[in-house]
Amino acid sequence: MFKAKRRLVLLAGAALAGVALAVVLLSGWASGGNSAVTDVAGSTNAVLYSAGHRPLAPDFTGTTLTGSRLSFSSYRGRVVVLNFWGSWCAPCREEAPMLAVAAEQYRGAGVAFLGVDVRDTTASALAFVRNFGIPYPSVNDSGSVITLDFTAVVPIAGTPTTLVIDRTGHIAGAVFGTATYTELSDILAKVTGGNG
Amino acid sequence: MTDVRAAEAGPSGTPAAERGQGAPGGQDRPDVSAYGLADWLKWAWRQLTSMRIALVLLFLLALGSVPGSMLPQEGTNPAGVQQYYTAHPALAPWLSRLGLFNVFGAPWFAAIYLLLFASLVGCVVPRTFRLAGSARTLPPRAPRHLTRLPRSAEYSTALVPAQAVDVAARVLAGHGFRLRRPAADGGADGDWVSAEKGYLREAGNLLFHLALLGVLVSVALGGLFGYKADRLLVQGDTFADTQSALDEFYPGRFVTAADLGPFTVTLNQFEASYITSGAQRGQPSSFDAQISYTTHPGGPARTDNLEVNRPLSVDGAKVYLIGHGYAPVFKVTDARGQVVYDQATPFISGSSGNFLSEGVVKVTDAQPEQLGFTGVFVPTAVEINGILQSAFPAADNPAVSLIAYAGNLGLNNGVPQSVYQMDTAGMRQLTPQPQLLLPGQSLKLPGGQGTITFTGYVPWVSLAITHDPGQLPALVCGIAALGGLLLSFMVRRRRLFVRARAGGKAGSPQGSTVQVGGLARTDASGGFEEEFASLAAELRAAHERAAAPIPAGHSQHEGE
Repeated sequence: MFKAKRRLVLLAGAALAGVALAVVLLSGWASGGNSAVTDVAGSTNAVLYSAGHRPLAPDFTGTTLTGSRLSFSSYRGRVVVLNFWGSWCAPCREEAPMLAVAAEQYRGAGVAFLGVDVRDTTASALAFVRNFGIPYPSVNDSGSVITLDFTAVVPIAGTPTTLVIDRTGHIAGAVFGTATYTELSDILAKVTGGNG
Repeated sequence: MTDVRAAEAGPSGTPAAERGQGAPGGQDRPDVSAYGLADWLKWAWRQLTSMRIALVLLFLLALGSVPGSMLPQEGTNPAGVQQYYTAHPALAPWLSRLGLFNVFGAPWFAAIYLLLFASLVGCVVPRTFRLAGSARTLPPRAPRHLTRLPRSAEYSTALVPAQAVDVAARVLAGHGFRLRRPAADGGADGDWVSAEKGYLREAGNLLFHLALLGVLVSVALGGLFGYKADRLLVQGDTFADTQSALDEFYPGRFVTAADLGPFTVTLNQFEASYITSGAQRGQPSSFDAQISYTTHPGGPARTDNLEVNRPLSVDGAKVYLIGHGYAPVFKVTDARGQVVYDQATPFISGSSGNFLSEGVVKVTDAQPEQLGFTGVFVPTAVEINGILQSAFPAADNPAVSLIAYAGNLGLNNGVPQSVYQMDTAGMRQLTPQPQLLLPGQSLKLPGGQGTITFTGYVPWVSLAITHDPGQLPALVCGIAALGGLLLSFMVRRRRLFVRARAGGKAGSPQGSTVQVGGLARTDASGGFEEEFASLAAELRAAHERAAAPIPAGHSQHEGE
């Protein structure tokens, strides 16, 4: 009977160890999430970062599709909509007309739009810009290096991804996947309205 | 798994039952009438931790992995699964229900894995206690009649019994035996020493079990925290190890986008050479991908060469060269004269050999309507019976053959497509026949729709990126498991006893009679007979030396 008791103790010990391991793993996983993130109403792929928990957007410089140098730091002090796209990317083509309209619409409010053209070629990208009447510049990111920099602070899984960056250069909101006008304008309303 | 405990089974058989004999019908079969739930649970636990069940689980684990390599898997080959559905419409749904298209994610596979894990833990933990216990326990007292032991020897010496045992103890201690001498007050039992050796056997066995557990944990670590990815990289292009830059990405359960090593790789040049003559003609003789890479954005660029089975190690990931092909370069102008496409387009070679490759060109932003081309690229073009073929894998006479389409590529509604396939449902064919182009040649599309020029070609490579944090621990554990197994096979637990009684040879009251007895508790690997004989001879020699007259000025222990 002593043996059986000890065995039971051991069983309990092993079970406890297993549970402890599971808890450690799960809590480690959960802490990877950010409690300072709220979903945008009615959206499954748009999020808002609350003030104080906004990740700082990495600075970058690049070459625009028309060949001029562009430094992201020159946008500091403005609200920026940063759209990661590619001419080959079907969802990007779906949201492009909306972005073209929104860019014109928010121009008056001082919101700057900027594209990051991922895994693309200049010829195809320029054709896309002409085709959809995109009024804002895009930086060439054919090697996904700018994307990589941003992935360190926001979980960019692919194109399209749209980030809204506040006047201090922090990421205030994001749409992962095809952005709708409602999602974008909801985020922009929060960011431009006072606390941006 | 070995079962060293079986040999140690006591009269009741209990230790053996802990691992090896725990089958129903054995001594563990519970008396149903008297057993409650707790007893049943205990019985189930004992079954689970028995070696028999552990072996069955290990076998099931191996068996369960078989469909994973025989059938296409959702994770690694979703297209293959689709093909299987098409080929076996009746069978495929059943296989899917059984999880056979996603074996390593199937609940039954997880169940085997976890049960094996529990079985090993349930075995290793008590084993550790037992080893710790046995390391503290002294060898048993020497039996009275050592000549009855499996191995024994007897001789007389001029030493008195106490001295004889002292000498024997020193010899045995010198051989790494663990000793037990009579208690100070236990004079009644005579002069003796018990010696035991071979604790490494159980330690090796424990190491084996722990290492096996380590292998399971390592594999789980790799599955949870590792990732696999593929990327096709055209010569001259760069990619960064981030999800959006990867063609296929299979992350582990706990891998997030930020966990990928932030390296970048640029393919500077790729060269493949082929055997040009003989029976092996056309077989590859070497591949060499010259790359430059950075370990993080903006870091210093280093160069390296990737060859088959010579991966790049960067940021904890490995980048393997797994394939290559040709990317013809096309330049397309649309009806308005605008350049709307100018890039190398990877074509994929089928199984036909000699890199006859197929691909599509999607000109998404041509005006007034989208253009598309389906094409075949051949590195060494020959015409056989009016059909374009490739005679050699090297690009000696490259050519493309194109069919042009115009219309709607179906890309603007947001549904992603493969870049290697074109949906021609919304397109109309512009060229009735495939049009052959050599480098530099152009094809004017009918109706002023534009022009496509085949400007040249560049090679591409396909890279597999793997990060498996469990790989090194699994290797270490595998080696440890082997070491433990060897120890438990090679090392014998054996005991030696020496007794000395007053009274030497032929009834002489001088000196003493020395009895040496020995037994191996497990003699699976044999060899104890020789070891005993050699030890007994050494003991006798030591006794003779100790009994010899001591030359003046020499210590008593000379020769020890």
